[in-house]
Amino acid sequence: MDELDPVIHASARLKITATLATLEVGDQIAFPRLQELLGMTAGNLSTHLRKLEDAGYVDVIKSHQGRTPATYLALSRTGRRAFEDYREALRDLLGESA
Amino acid sequence: MDDTRTPAVDLDEPLGDPREMLALLEKQQRQVTDAQIAPVVWLYFIWGIAWLVGFLALWSGDADGNPWFTIPAGVATPLFIVLLVVSIASSAVIGMRINRGVRGISSFSGAVYGLSWSVCGTAFALLGTALISHGMSTDLANLYFPSGYALMCGTIYLGGAALWREKSQLILGLIMLTVGAAAPFAGSPGNDLVFALAGGGAFLVVAAIMAVRLRRNR
Repeated sequence: MDELDPVIHASARLKITATLATLEVGDQIAFPRLQELLGMTAGNLSTHLRKLEDAGYVDVIKSHQGRTPATYLALSRTGRRAFEDYREALRDLLGESA
Repeated sequence: MDDTRTPAVDLDEPLGDPREMLALLEKQQRQVTDAQIAPVVWLYFIWGIAWLVGFLALWSGDADGNPWFTIPAGVATPLFIVLLVVSIASSAVIGMRINRGVRGISSFSGAVYGLSWSVCGTAFALLGTALISHGMSTDLANLYFPSGYALMCGTIYLGGAALWREKSQLILGLIMLTVGAAAPFAGSPGNDLVFALAGGGAFLVVAAIMAVRLRRNR
């Protein structure tokens, strides 16, 4: 049995990846909306997003809406695969087959 | 990303127990889905009231309709139109909020879906106007317009169900198509009663079932 992915295996980052995984492939979500769906503080969310970004799991897209800077987020291909593997590993551990 | 960073607190600690982690994962995804469904319940509720009250008003505004009481046609028709306009306006506002903050590939689907309501609505209205200009009677127009719109709703709902794999739209779509096709057999103004009870009723029942499910998930 493989070790559970330590990047995802922390409740805050699990919640973030689980939320991002509900997006269609090819969609991105704005930082404030993600924050709203997670009920996390902006600072806490930023910290965990940075860790996910460093691992190559999350793509951070900076853009502008008019003059206001906007940040959009999405799981990278690696991130989506890591999330699916993680969920699979949990189910295996619990003896549930996907 | 936001620049005000605070150190990550206890949430950084792994829970350890796979069962708890799987439960957390599933709960979070359910909450996200529910957050998207919640506005849809309001949409169905608003349209349910509009159909129920609006068509009951039309039915009661016709001398051959409601056997218990009649309301002046000068009240019934404007009431129906006001309910329709309010519902369309709230649909536009609520519809835009459903997928707010999300951009990308699904924006196209959402935009086409949103646009199809106004485009199809205009097409059905134009067809009706053309039929009237070629001699369609008021009685026939009273059969055509509500059925045209019910068939339009049903068809667009089926499209929405296919797009988002959404069962409530599938159920409502099938009911709207059935009601729209069957109501004219009741004649006018009997068809108004069919739309009020079967159409408005279907919206309200589906809204109630979804609301109960959302509450249970909390």
